[in-house]
Amino acid sequence: MDLSPTDCEHVLRQIELYLDGELVGVERVEIERHLGECSPCHGHSEFQRKLKEMLRAKCGCHEVPAEFAERIRSLFGSASPGPPP
Amino acid sequence: MDVARSRTAPPEDPALRARFERDVLPLLPNLYGAALRMTRNPQDAEDLVQEAYLRAYRGFGGFEEGTNLRAWMYRILTNTFINAYRKRQREPLTVQDDEIEDWYLYDRLGGSGVESSAETEVLDRIPDEDVQAALEALPENFRMVVLLADVEGFSYKEIAEILDIPIGTVMSRLHRGRKALQKALWETVRERGLVTD
Repeated sequence: MDLSPTDCEHVLRQIELYLDGELVGVERVEIERHLGECSPCHGHSEFQRKLKEMLRAKCGCHEVPAEFAERIRSLFGSASPGPPP
Repeated sequence: MDVARSRTAPPEDPALRARFERDVLPLLPNLYGAALRMTRNPQDAEDLVQEAYLRAYRGFGGFEEGTNLRAWMYRILTNTFINAYRKRQREPLTVQDDEIEDWYLYDRLGGSGVESSAETEVLDRIPDEDVQAALEALPENFRMVVLLADVEGFSYKEIAEILDIPIGTVMSRLHRGRKALQKALWETVRERGLVTD
């Protein structure tokens, strides 16, 4: 299959939606097929996937200071009398 | 979701309180991480999370079991932030509006399309604090969608509901926010000497 620059431009515009899981059906299949055949677009896609993973790993759920975690539990845990009105 | 009205109605039902403990308290590490990225400092993050938990606790009776609890909780967190904390914060300067330009960090890092892991290895070497700082430096509109999509993994539809904006706005902010973030990371890798120009 011949790959025209137009295909690549289209794929690069769609790559975020694809990686975000927002493409379904034919659109998704077409992107996947193109990525399987086009090395530069595949490289772009894998890089952006990695970028998403890195953000999640480095900015995601955070160790909660023990004192604060205990305060939340004491205020809102089922054993507590509840927070002040 | 009427948070204000629900403030007067803490859950008296022990079963409801047990469910709150089971389902909502475990979200704390995620909520605290998100609050850190929103407020940019630990003390404000604690205040924000505690206030969001208080609102959620009082409104929990109105939460419909089986619907999207995470999105419900993040909506409370986001609204609390916007209403109470944002006004106190000094916003970073708006990023340059260059939507037309095609700019990819991958290209800057020398992506050739051949089997190469050099570009992604550079990402691994950026210190956590620098990545967090780059995200926190984004203007709030961009920061929130990137945080909710890439860090928290929400769908566009969920983000639209959490922030109460159209899906098209989610998509455009996400695209521009990611581009701005990639530019900031490019500055970081250059300053850190992780690449040679």
